[in-house]
Parts: sequence; structure tokens; C-alpha cells
Amino acid sequence: MAVSSPPITATVNITIDGQPVQGREGQTILEAAREAGFYIPTLCYHPDLSVRAACRICVVEVKGARTLQAACAYPITEGLVVRTSTPAVREARKVNLELLLSNHDINCPSCARNLNCELQKLARDFNIVEPRFQGERTHHEADHSTPSIVRDPDKCILCRRCVDVCHEVQGVGVIGPSERGFRTIIGTAYEEPLAQQPCVLCGQCINRCPVGALYEVDYTEQVWKALADPKKFVVVQTAPAIRVAIGEEFGIPAGTIVTGQLAAGLRRLGFDRVFDTDFSADLTIIEEGHELLERLTRGGTLPMITSCSPGWIKFIEHYYSDLLAHLSTCKSPQQMFGAVAKTYYAEKAGIDPKDMVVVSIMPCTAKKFECQRPEMDDSGFQDVDYAITTRELARMLRQAGIDLSKLPEEQYDDPLGRSTGAAVIFGATGGVMEAALRTVYEVVTKRNLPSLEFKAVRGMEGIKEAAVDLDGTVVKVAVAHGLANARVLLDKIRDGSADYHFIEIMACPAGCIGGGGQPIPTSPEIRAARMRAIYREDERMVIRKSHENPAIQALYQEFLGQPLGEKSHHLLHTHYTPRGK
Amino acid sequence: MAEPFYRAHVLTCAGTGCSASGSLAVHNAMEEEVRKRGLADEVKVIPTGCRGFCSMGPVMIIYPDGIFYCQVQAEDVPEIVEETLVKGRVVGRLLYREPESLKGLPYYHEIPFYGKQLRIALRNCGFINPEEITEYIACGGYEALGKVLREMSPTDVLDTMKRSGLRGRGGAGFLTGLKWELTRRAPGDVKYVICNADEGDPGAFMDRSVLEGDPHSVVEGMAIGAYAIGAQEGFIYCRAEYPLAIHRLKIAIKQAEEYGLLGEDIMGSGFSFKLHIKEGAGAFVCGEETALIASIEGRRGEPRPRPPFPSVSGLWGKPTNINNVETWANVAPIISRGAEWFASIGTERSKGTKVFALTGRVNNVGLVEVPMGITVGDIVYDIGGGIPHKKQFKAVQTGGPLGGCLPVTSLNTPVDYDSLTSAGATMGSGGMIVVDEDTCMVEFAKFFLTFAQDESCGQCTPCRIGGKRMLEILTRITQGEGKLEDLDRLEELARVMANTSLCALGQLTPSPVMSTLRHFRDEYIAHIVDKRCPAGVCDALVIAKCHNACPLGTNVPLYTSLIAEGRFDEALAVVKQDNPFPGICGRVCVAECEAHCRRGQIDSPVAVRQLKRFLADWELQQAGKVSLGQPVANKREEKVAVIGAGPAGLTAAYYLAKDGFPVTVFEALPVAGGMLAVGIPEYRLPREILDVEIDAIKALGVEIVTNTRFGSDVTLDDLLTQGYSAVLISTGAHGCSKLGIPGEEMEGVIAGVDFLREVNLGQRRSVGERVVVVGGGNVAIDAARSALRLGAKEVHVVYRRQRDDMPAHEQEIKDAEDEGIQFHYLTNPVRVLGADWKMTGVECQKMMLGEFDRSGRRRPLPITGSEFVIEADMLITAIGQVADLSCLPPDDGVVATRHGTIAVNPKTLVTGRMGVFAAGDVVTGPATVIEAIAQGREAAVSISRYLQGEDLSAPRERKVELPTEGLPVPEGEVPRVEAPRLDPTERKHSFAEVEGGFTAEMARREAARCLRCYDEHAKKRREIAKQSVPAGVR
Repeated sequence: MAVSSPPITATVNITIDGQPVQGREGQTILEAAREAGFYIPTLCYHPDLSVRAACRICVVEVKGARTLQAACAYPITEGLVVRTSTPAVREARKVNLELLLSNHDINCPSCARNLNCELQKLARDFNIVEPRFQGERTHHEADHSTPSIVRDPDKCILCRRCVDVCHEVQGVGVIGPSERGFRTIIGTAYEEPLAQQPCVLCGQCINRCPVGALYEVDYTEQVWKALADPKKFVVVQTAPAIRVAIGEEFGIPAGTIVTGQLAAGLRRLGFDRVFDTDFSADLTIIEEGHELLERLTRGGTLPMITSCSPGWIKFIEHYYSDLLAHLSTCKSPQQMFGAVAKTYYAEKAGIDPKDMVVVSIMPCTAKKFECQRPEMDDSGFQDVDYAITTRELARMLRQAGIDLSKLPEEQYDDPLGRSTGAAVIFGATGGVMEAALRTVYEVVTKRNLPSLEFKAVRGMEGIKEAAVDLDGTVVKVAVAHGLANARVLLDKIRDGSADYHFIEIMACPAGCIGGGGQPIPTSPEIRAARMRAIYREDERMVIRKSHENPAIQALYQEFLGQPLGEKSHHLLHTHYTPRGK
Repeated sequence: MAEPFYRAHVLTCAGTGCSASGSLAVHNAMEEEVRKRGLADEVKVIPTGCRGFCSMGPVMIIYPDGIFYCQVQAEDVPEIVEETLVKGRVVGRLLYREPESLKGLPYYHEIPFYGKQLRIALRNCGFINPEEITEYIACGGYEALGKVLREMSPTDVLDTMKRSGLRGRGGAGFLTGLKWELTRRAPGDVKYVICNADEGDPGAFMDRSVLEGDPHSVVEGMAIGAYAIGAQEGFIYCRAEYPLAIHRLKIAIKQAEEYGLLGEDIMGSGFSFKLHIKEGAGAFVCGEETALIASIEGRRGEPRPRPPFPSVSGLWGKPTNINNVETWANVAPIISRGAEWFASIGTERSKGTKVFALTGRVNNVGLVEVPMGITVGDIVYDIGGGIPHKKQFKAVQTGGPLGGCLPVTSLNTPVDYDSLTSAGATMGSGGMIVVDEDTCMVEFAKFFLTFAQDESCGQCTPCRIGGKRMLEILTRITQGEGKLEDLDRLEELARVMANTSLCALGQLTPSPVMSTLRHFRDEYIAHIVDKRCPAGVCDALVIAKCHNACPLGTNVPLYTSLIAEGRFDEALAVVKQDNPFPGICGRVCVAECEAHCRRGQIDSPVAVRQLKRFLADWELQQAGKVSLGQPVANKREEKVAVIGAGPAGLTAAYYLAKDGFPVTVFEALPVAGGMLAVGIPEYRLPREILDVEIDAIKALGVEIVTNTRFGSDVTLDDLLTQGYSAVLISTGAHGCSKLGIPGEEMEGVIAGVDFLREVNLGQRRSVGERVVVVGGGNVAIDAARSALRLGAKEVHVVYRRQRDDMPAHEQEIKDAEDEGIQFHYLTNPVRVLGADWKMTGVECQKMMLGEFDRSGRRRPLPITGSEFVIEADMLITAIGQVADLSCLPPDDGVVATRHGTIAVNPKTLVTGRMGVFAAGDVVTGPATVIEAIAQGREAAVSISRYLQGEDLSAPRERKVELPTEGLPVPEGEVPRVEAPRLDPTERKHSFAEVEGGFTAEMARREAARCLRCYDEHAKKRREIAKQSVPAGVR
């Protein structure tokens, strides 16, 4: 992934539409043109992925070339002369768009990506109003087999972004092209339902899809129904990464923190209690931190690996099931929240847990799968009833006529709405590690941290490493995000070359801020902006260490007893299932 | 043990083509027979690779003499051994025969198919046993590798390759030496060479033949390339559908390894090279180099954008050089014989030779290797032996499904990269498919497009969807549902596909459509506007091939079926619906129906012309006269004048009279019938037949006024002021082109049509003793045979081209030959000799054939010094007829074309003057009787509509009722029923009719031969109707 800042390279002088442009060596025409402010339309190109040059929308005239060239793939060289909007170029783009539309299920108003569709926008830009190339259309039934992702091949334009993100970024590769020519289809091996494939349901494909061929399974109707049911007590939790991303759905620039507006919006939707997954993130740190210390001191399986990311969990269950013992037994914060809400909180608030509905707002499509895992019922009920994505919540708000940008800031409800800075950084890669270190350091050394910030585990680097001295015991840690990076660490564990004690793995690039349930589009810039916001949010919190969260302290005093105690073990820990490749 | 010294070598072809025809059995029989006869120490039997002449397979060559046998079967082997190997005689019946003279040619080197070939890549194919490395080495194999490793630096090799000018034979034509150099220069220690053997064009088998016939030529070429480039490893990517090629490659690699010619430290030079075979799964796109690399790497075979090119980043990201089989096979000879030798062959920018797989409608199908720069026509005619069955050449497709077609006007195009590209085709990898007049070019383009779009990898938009949409449009056109704007749409799609597709497959997929649109747009328009497939191919538009071929659209299927059932009167009624002259057409029609009859593809066509004649003769025999019905009772008021009582005029008069219009026909000659009466001799068309059929038209009330010359006796203005509401000009083409040579004005020189008119009107009863006729058309033959009948002692026909080029009907030529008329081909008169204005002879000159002209025939060129004299006292010139338009005053509104005919709207036959129409030869120039009748009918429709105030340009489709049931079709080959003909010795002294007619029994038997191909067309039409789904619906 091209996320790090480009190295200093030689300048290349080119001409675009008669204007002199300075590009850099190694850039494509598209990159140089966009930097210089020339807008060349694209469809299959995505900054996270390698170049396919399949859609042929970004074609330009290159002086001396026999045919039009794909700007996304063509490397610039000194003296290159490019024209981006000649009659031939416009004809080519328009005809190729018309061809795509001629084999596209055009039902824009009832499409998941209506008004946020790259094809729709281009069709409008190119004034395509009447279909000129009608003919046979390929047809395949949509795949609704998983609880997370819907694949609708009739909307697919075969840009291959989903294929490439699945292979290159996630190292999963459950979808790919089959057949040839007009019959070509993106699908699974033997056209099996996705549910029967080792798909981790991360939803990264959805975030890359330019059209409505991939979208999340929608649970908003079930949530509306619960909210409308007077017998139900509906509580909601919001994942750390939501507050720095949902604003984008309302036209607010990426990287804007809207925590208060989010709480206000949820309250206006009618949730009985507006709580925060950040609370259970703090709880996770306490449990997981103690688990690590126990493994370190009592000789458990090391390195221990975090278990917050359900896409990651499904990945290791499919592909590295021999390494399951390395996983922390802690449930994810979403599930810890559900278990605590339906036991501790229900009792405290005097609500029959059978009447309680727990809804979680997640940046993630795999969370829908996680909350439906059969073992997630330690409260005596399904711990979390519905996990909906950032995008689904935005739709609910819009349906209710709520414009997030116009709302006042409100507070989360007590006690499960209390949290710390350590919890909010769970939303970014390295955040769990940093939060854990803040607690573990103080638990082990019994001293206050000199500096709260572990900068080595922050940032977009695919794999980050650090060593922390806990009074003579050096703890080596590693952080990976994006499952292709996870593979590198897991292979090291397998071959015995990993000398880490603790590893954080997040399925999605940049962590939950880049989750498969987050607003579309995504790009390195957008994720960087969300990440900066996460750390700003941490900085403005009064309490920034999980073990200092008073609500957590009360929870242990009133209910759980001690970390890793019997109740914790029952409610907050789980086991894993090998699933086969 | 040392090999015995063999006195003879028998080479049996073991290529794929010959193997399919049974060459393995021939080989085994030969070995067995040689052993049985105790010749095993004297005669060696060797299985070889492809010798190229696949249509003649299995082929066999016996050395040392080079005796060439073709279509050899195992049963022939004992005779070959006895005659040739024991007694030293040639087995005549197994020789190759020249198509025209049927002369047997005993020796390999004499056969024209091989005459213009030059074999470099195929140097060993068909000469050595491909499974024996020693045979390759004995032919100089691996000398080049030795030379390279011993004497040359990699730079020397690169230099030699660059100087040779060799360009990639896979299609793109990039300079091979330069490509090698780019790969050598690319940074990196690990480099690869790849041989692209993913040949997938339909009908192409160049690479296959090299790999099967001479695998070491590729192995050696790759080893040399690897040395020059700095590669240590190579891959041959061969499609798995070539099992024999893979088998022989494996043997070759193994043997080369055993001989130390592959592997570590080759020939002690320190250079190591390992070669692997990768079997491709048969995706056409894997011939594209980046897709091929992806496939070797184990990924889906899809191209990627370039740059970077494989020479920089190829297999597993390493610098990689890819060349195709034929390119590699050229390497060793270039090293051995030098760059200068190679560069001396071919053209300025295309050096060396090119292998082509010559297929389609050509006599000699097979594999040929020719020097660059040879013309397309040379390949089609000299090597390919021309088009079978005297059919017209239509086009040749080069470059396979991604290439383009070249029309008849491109026969002189030199075959080299640049000339082919600028002519709209491509060299491609060497497919060459010849098509003739029976090929529909829309269907042809559709065939290739179907293939190419099916083989698209599906990655980029224009190729994946554009190809499909083009195919859908083409399909609509072939189904008669096209619109004219579809052509614009096709061009737009083609442009965008060519301009924006990711790889060459997509960029070139539209090529067949583009090139057929460029050269055969009229065929597209015929499908769209006229709903007609001129070649008679497209099921939706073709009722039956005979019906489609007839200019009149005669309902041959129905009357043939009725004749077979013995329902002659019904059959006759069907004929008369389309044609008032069954007796005439039954005798003199050129019968395009027979030329296109489906049965002709099995044995011989149904004798449709004779069947029609039978019906006419039967009526005359039964009734003593011919009837076209009764005059219409209630006549209309508007009178019509027809000028010229030829077939066009009389046909128009017939239909107009049937519509109730009073018609007067004015004829300049003393008799009615036009060319039927004064052009065609009685021995072909008895006067009685003409008279009874004209009488039948008169019986409808048509008035024929003879001896009335248009322009002097009666003018257009006269007629229109005398109360004629419409006038049809059908004055024919009775003028004669001049030779334009000295002495033409002498006594004894006469124009062919004038001569025939004099003979037919009884004005001439004698001719000279020695008559020379100049020309090759029917008039020339008619004149020659008439002269013979009038007592000439010698008749010579002088024609400037070859026999095959003669426009005259084949039967007429043969009849003339049988009657003793002497033909002088490639001969042209240059002067009429004589004294005192009286001719004594004709000085002629021999001609040779030059370039092809626009008609697709070679232009005759005089050979200086070849003059000779034919003594003669009469010269008949029959080199072409023209219409005489002097009857038309310059300002009466009827306009002439630059060809000297009357300008009309081709559909409605309206002239430039209101109410005046024209039809027949005066419009078309000299044409056939049936075309004149067709024009007469269309003119009648137009005039009738004009007089009733209807739209002249409204469609004129005629419903064709097909036989619903009939007799079953006889199975297998059934000989054609031949009508009796007068014996040549008897007939040449009289004007008695040469050809006899069928009896009722003969007619029924012949009619029953009809294959009822129309049932098949109808069935397919029903299937199409079921399939066609309205646009936009799934």
C-alpha cells in the first residue's frame, strides 16, 4: 500500500493539455496530472491497489502512441506530451461507459450505492441519457449467504478492486474472475456461496467497490422495530472508530470528531441508553493486560495476540488454526459490552435482560458475524443483538431527518458510557497495544508512566515493532494491520523466528478507522485524517488509562471481583474454532 | 554397428495433416513391405514432419530422384515398392496432376506448389526424422550454436541478428535483434527466454508444423538467443492441444541434453542453458506475451498494461525475451549463413521468408514458406493453384481472426509487414484464408468476431463488452434486422475497441469487421436494405441457394418438387409467374442456380435449366402452342410504349399487359426478340421456340411494330405527345467495340454481333475458308461455331488471356473444342495483313501474364518478338458490346452514364425524364438474358405503379411459396441426368439444335435429386425467430 510519504525523487517535466507540469520519477500520468490539478476520470483505479487499467475510462492521448493510453498505468518520462480531453478521448470514455451500462443492472434509486456511485457520477458527467448499445445482459443471482456481505454480480462492472483488495491487502483471495469474455464473472471458487468459502467478512471489498455490487447486510429494519417496541429496552454502543468517521456521511470533512453529536443523534433516534464500546475497550485492557502478565509470568503461549478484530479472528480460524492458542481468550469489546449490559447493567437498572436489546454501531461488517456466533451468549441471551455499520447508522439518521452536523454535543449515559483515552485509540492500528502498555506498565512497575504515548506503535507502517522495559523485563511487541501483513507475522511464529511477547493484529488497513463498515470512499488520505482525529480525541480525554476508568473500577468492585476472576472468565472470555481453508 | 549405405530413402510425412489422412498406416506398410522384400539394407523408410502440401496428403518422397507421390494409401505400397524401388519406374496414378492439363508431374521440384517457395524456417520439415537428433545434426544442425559458443561474443550475435533484419514472426514484427539487445541491457543477473508456441488462430498450423517437423531448430535458436541475451533458462509455452509437438519437443530436449547441447557448460564453453516445456490450457489470449507470462507463473492468463515490457520486467519480474516458434527457427540459419545472406531475401523493411498456413477456397491447401515481397496473388494462384470450381476469388484473410481481409484489388499487394498493414490487413502469425464468391463477408466477419470475443480475457471494458455488442449487431444484420445506422455504430465501437483495449487482442478484434466494412460495404447494405445475402449464406435471408442466385428470384424449389411428383402443369404455372420465356431460358440461361446448387457440393448440381426446358417443351408437345393466359377484359386507358423487342422489353410488355395496360412495342429490326433473335445462333435456340413464346405475349394483346427505328422513325417526344403515358427504353447493346489495330477496315473484317445478326437474319450464307475470331465471350464462341457451320475450313479463336479467364460458358467452350475449333490463348491480334483492302491474315503476338487487374485476373502483357501470323480471309471481332445511344437527342432529359449506358435509379429504373424508364442491356451494359428479363419485370412494376400514382420505391418483396412436402431426398451420390447432345462430327455442319431435352421420366428422375436445402434454411429461420430476443431484454 502506498501510504508512506513518497521518497525524494527526480523531477520529470511533462506537458499536459499544453501546460508544463513537473512530475516525479516513478509517477504515472494520472498521479502527476492529479497533483497538478488535472482531473482525469477513473473507475477501476484505486489508490490502495495495484494498477489494473481494466476499465479504460482514464485513457488519454500520449504523443507518439498508436492508441490511447491508460493514464493510471502509463509511467511518465521526460518530455511526455499528454492530452486529456480530446474528441477521441471523450468518445472513448463515453462509449466505454455506455458499454459498462449496457451490461449493468440499472436500478439506481433502489441501489445500495445510489448517489454514492462512481459509475453513476461518470454517467451523469458524460451526459449518458439514452442507452445506445443494448443487448444481452449477464445474469447471476445475488449472494445473500453471509450475515455480513451481499454480492450482486448484476451490478458488477468487473473493475477487480474487490479481487485485488482481497488478494493484495488482505491476503485472503476468496474471490476472483472466472469464465472469459462477456461471460466473465467475479465470484468464488466453483461459484459457491460466500458463506461456504474461507471469507473473513472484513468488508474491505465493499469499501473499494465503485458501484453497488457489494454492500453490507442491512439490519436497520430490525433496529427500527426494536426501537418502536415499547416492551423493549434498547441500548446502543458505539465503537471507538465511529466518532471520527460518521461525519463524512453528512458532508463533514474526514477527520472531524463528532462524538457529542453522535451521542445526541442516537438519543434522538430513541435509544433508551446511549453507551460506548469505549467502556468495554477499557475493560478489555484490564482483562487482556492481566492475561498477558499471567502468560509472561506463568509460562503461557507466547506471543499472545489480540482478539478484538472479528475479521482477524475468522482469518486465523481459517488459515492459521494451528496458532489459535496464541490468541488472547478475551472477547472483543463489542461482546464484552453485550455480556456486561445484559447482566451487570440489567441487574443494576432493574431491567429483565430478556427485554433488553443491545445494538452496536460498528465500523465493521465482520461484527455482524461475530455477534451471531453461537458461543456469544454468556449473559444467558445473545449478548449483542444487532451490529450495524457506520453507514447503516447514517441511513437511520437520515431517515429520521437528523443532520448530524446540526446537532448539539451531548454526553454518553452512565455508567457504560464512561471511558478513557486508552479506549478510543482502539480505533487505530497500534491503539490496543498502546492502551495495553499504558496499563501493563503501571500494573507491573507500580509507577506512573513518564510519557503516555508509545509512538513506535502508531502510524501506517504495515508492521510495527517495539520493545518496552518493564523494570528489567523487556517486552517485545509487534503490530500488524491488513491481513496480508498479519500473514508475515504468523509465518514467523510458525517457523519460530518470532521473538515477540505480544502482538496486535487488526484485520483492516489502519485498523477500525479503515473498517469495512466505514463511509465510502476510503483512501490513504482519508484514513490518515481519521487516525489523526483518534489521537486528538485521546489527548482531550481527562482520563487516558483504562485502569483509571472509575466505571471499570466500580464494575470490578460491584460485580466482577477481580480481573481473570471466575465471573470474568465466564462472561468476558471465549474460545476459538478451527474452520478449514 | 555402422549404418548400411542406403540406395534409396523413402520419406513418409508424419505431420498432423497427413497422419489424419492415414500416413501412419502407409509408413508401417512401407517398412513392412521393404522388410518382406529383403530391401531393408538398401532402402530406408523415414517418418518426417509436415511437407506442407496437406490437401494432397498423405505425401511421400522417394530419394535420390525426388519422386513425389500424393494421396498414398497403404494398399498402394506394394506397387510403389515393386515399380519404383525395384524397377525404377514411376507409378503414374499417384503423381500430382496439374489442375488444368491433368499432366502428371513426377518430381517434387517440378510441382508449382513448391516452385515459388523458399524454405528457411521449414528447411528440415519433411526431410528429416524429427525424433532423431542425428538427422538434424547431419543437416547442419547445432553448427550455429557451436559457432556462437566458439567464435562469437554475445555482442557479435546481437549484431548479426540486428543486421539480418529479422522481425518477429508472431505478428507484431518487432526487430528481433533489437528485442534481444533490450533484454540483454536490462539490469539483472537472472533472465529468461521464452518460445511462444500458443498458436491458436483457426486454420493456422505454422508453429505446430515446425515443432512437429523440426523441434531442434527451435531448441538451437533458443540456446543461441539465451547466450546472446544472458539467460540461463528458457520456457517453451506450447498449447496442450498439440500433443505431437510436445512429444517431439520432449524427445528433442532430452536428446539435446544427452548430447551436451543443453544443460550445464554446453560444449565446454561455460555457457549453461536449461529448457522447459510449459503446456498452456488453450486460451487464445495467452499468445499475448504478458498473459503468457502470467500463465507460466500459474496465474490466470490475462494481459497487463505495458510498459514495463517483458524485456525489462517479465517472467517473475525478471528481464525476459519472448519470440515465437518461427522466429526462433530462423536464428540458426542466420548465424550459419550470415546476416547478409538473410537480408538479401525479402523487401527493404521485411527480410527473409514467412510461413503461411494457406487454407480456405484454394486448390492447394497447405503450409507454405515464401520470400517476403511475393504478392498475395502469387500465393493464391501460383502456389495455391487458384480457386476450385472456377469460382470467383473474393478475398483473402491474413493475420487470422485479428487480421483483415484483402479484396480482389489487393492481389498485387506484396506480402510484407508494412504493405499488409497499409492495405488494412496484418501479417499476423501467418494464417491465410482464401474465400470465394460463395462466402458472405458479413457472416465471415461474424465468424472471426465470434471467435475473438469469445477468447477475450474479459478484463477490459471495450474488449469484454464492445466485442459482444458488435457481434450482436452483426447477428442482427445477418438476420435481416439490421439498420443503416448500425454501420455507424459498428464503426464507432470498432474505433473505441481498437483505440482503448488493454492488449492487442482487444485492439485487433474489430479488424475483420473494419476491413469487410471497408471493402465489402455493399454486402452489408444488401443485407440491411435489400434484406438479401448476395452469397446465399445467411439463413434468415436465403430461401434456397438456387432462388437466391437467380437474378429473377425464380421459385426453383417449388417447380422442381412438382416435376419430381409428375405435376407438370402446376410446375409450369410456377415458372410462368416469374418468367414468360421458359423455353428460351431453358436453353440459353447461364443458370446461376446450378452454379450455386447445394447438391453441387456433393456430386453435381441439379440440371435446373434442363428441367425448365422440359416444362416448356412438354407444353408445346401437349398443346401445340404456348399460352401465357388470356388478354385482360377491362383494359386501362394509359398506353405504354416499349422501345426494343428484346427480352427486357418483351418481359415488361408481358407484365404490363397482364395489368391491363395497352402496350405497343417498337422494334428497329424486321424481327422481334432482340439478341435472342439476332445474337444467339439457331443451334442453341431454334427459331420456333422463340416465335411461339413471343406469340404467347402477342396473344395477350401486345402490339409489336417492327422495322421502326427509335430516334429516326419514332422519337421520345413523338411517343409522349401521341398519347403514350409512359415509355420504356430497352434498346439493348448491339454496338461492337473496335480492336483498334491497323488493317481493321479491310474487307473480311466484321464485328461479331454484326456477323451473328447477318447469319440469323439469313443475310449471310457463306464465310471465308480460314476464319479468326478474337474474343473470349459467348459472342466469340457463337461466331466461331456459326462460321464453322457456314463452311469455314479452319476456325481459330484468339484470346489474350487463359482458358480459365474466358467469360464464355464452360459448356460452350467445350462444345467448340469438340467441334475442332482451334484456340490460341495468351494471344492478341496486332495487325490485319492484306493487300488491296482484302485481308490475308492476322498478325498476332503472344502474351504473358502480369499483375492482377481489378477483375482479379492477371493482366496480359505483350511479349515482344513473339509475333506470328495466322493466315485467314476473315476476322470476326468479338471483344465487347456497347449500347448505341445515338437515338437519344442530347436534351430530352434521358442522361447517359460514363459507361455509355442510360442512367437510371437502380431500383425503380426511372430515367432523368418523367414517365420514361429504361431496362436491359442499355442500362446494365451487355448482360445475360435472365438479367434482362429481371429488369423488364422491375420496369413493368415501376411503370404500373407510376401510372397508378403509387410509390415506386416501396418494397418489392415477392412471396415465395415453398413445397410443404414432396418425395424423399435420395441418399448418397446420385448421378446427374444428362440430356442427349448431337455428335460433334454431325452437328458442326448444320444449325440443328445441339442439345436435346429430357423425357418426362428423365425430368422426374433429375428433379428428385434436389436436396431440399430450403427445408434446412427454413428450420434455421424458425430457430432464429425463437432465439431473437428484443433488445434490452435479458
